[in-house]
Amino acid sequence: MIGFLILSVFIGIVIIAFASVTQKKLSDAIILFMGVGLGSVVLFFIFKAPDVALTEAVIGSGISSLIFLMALKHLKEKA
Amino acid sequence: MSLKRDLPTSTMSGFALSASLVLTILNILLHNIPNNIQTVGDELLKLNQTEGVANAVTTVVVYFRGFDTLGEIAVLFIASLGIGLMLDANKRCDIKAKSNFMLQTASKLLFPIIMLFGIYVMVYGHLSPGGGFQGGVIVASGVLLLLISFNEFELSHKVVSMLEMFAGASYVIIGLIGLLVLDKFLGNFLPNDVANMGMLLSGGIIPIIYIIVGVKVGSEMSVISENLIKRCEDV
Amino acid sequence: MFEFFNQSEVIKIIIIVGSMSLFLVGLFGLLTQKHIIKTFISIAIMESSVFLLFIGLSYKQTFLAPILADGQQNFSQMNDPVPQAMILTAIVIGMAVLALGVSFTIEYYKLTSKTNIDEMTSLRN
Repeated sequence: MIGFLILSVFIGIVIIAFASVTQKKLSDAIILFMGVGLGSVVLFFIFKAPDVALTEAVIGSGISSLIFLMALKHLKEKA
Repeated sequence: MSLKRDLPTSTMSGFALSASLVLTILNILLHNIPNNIQTVGDELLKLNQTEGVANAVTTVVVYFRGFDTLGEIAVLFIASLGIGLMLDANKRCDIKAKSNFMLQTASKLLFPIIMLFGIYVMVYGHLSPGGGFQGGVIVASGVLLLLISFNEFELSHKVVSMLEMFAGASYVIIGLIGLLVLDKFLGNFLPNDVANMGMLLSGGIIPIIYIIVGVKVGSEMSVISENLIKRCEDV
Repeated sequence: MFEFFNQSEVIKIIIIVGSMSLFLVGLFGLLTQKHIIKTFISIAIMESSVFLLFIGLSYKQTFLAPILADGQQNFSQMNDPVPQAMILTAIVIGMAVLALGVSFTIEYYKLTSKTNIDEMTSLRN
């Protein structure tokens, strides 16, 4: 059961990462990048590492997304 | 996707070279998968019995490899300094748009709960998953919520710089006291009995250092967020 | 079918192949995209793949997390705490470097208003 779960989450992460890299608009790429961070939090939890999962959840969703969205605002891109 | 028209041959040949390198590494890793190897981690888990701290990752970060954490705090400080120099932190502008009243009411209710949760994660870092880095970033995200809801909210420059200064200096001072008392930089000179494992006051200097790290990381993240949000746009 | 996926060799193969393919996706984005913020996103994806490989290689299926639960007294049959401590440091430093790079981009845009990497040729001719 665990092996099948790890396989499906890995397939989901690779598909979302490929979609994030080949988008035309910048705002879509940033939102799909947050999905990669969410998938990696689930994987860290399955690998029995709670400290690393907590750190990646807070930094990947809180601060890293803020940095990219502020770049979107200051570079005057059309959202 | 207009990728088929503009991919030069040098790019594709570089990509093929890296892909072949990755595949050889894959091949080597797949052929030797040993199952019972003795690592450094087993020895550190045995040494952890005498420290009196319930979270093994916390002792590795703060006590056994405490010098690396000091270097990481230095890297964060240099990055925050660079961002403050680049983005012209002295010119604060007024944001013209006023945010919605639902956002203002909700952030006034949520801000104390977020701060309380962040301080709890910071203080209980040696008993359950958590610690200084996680708690500091949670506190900074609470401050970020206030920064985007209210236009006239500003971090007071003196308080934040005092907090950061004292937190950074006390880390090194505690290490030097350990050098004086025990002949070891960052040695454990406060009482840490194994009988107290699981209580809040246990483990000697380990929870104290993690709280200092949390205060420093939280204040630096708040300053970075404020520099990115309230920077002046050109007219 | 579920019992086939639960063996430890198959799980290791899944982890290695999955994180290496994520690395290749990030490398593809770094080589072909023209906007500079998209290159930062690709670098962040490559960093995430290396963290997953590190923690995945030290995962044993019947061991516990390295924290004492209620009623336990000694640290045995637990996972390795050293890779987790190293990855904690690496995540924070990666985020700090990304923030510095983005602030350089914002300042460059204020001076010359260019974001395409083919047009940033102020050091040539």
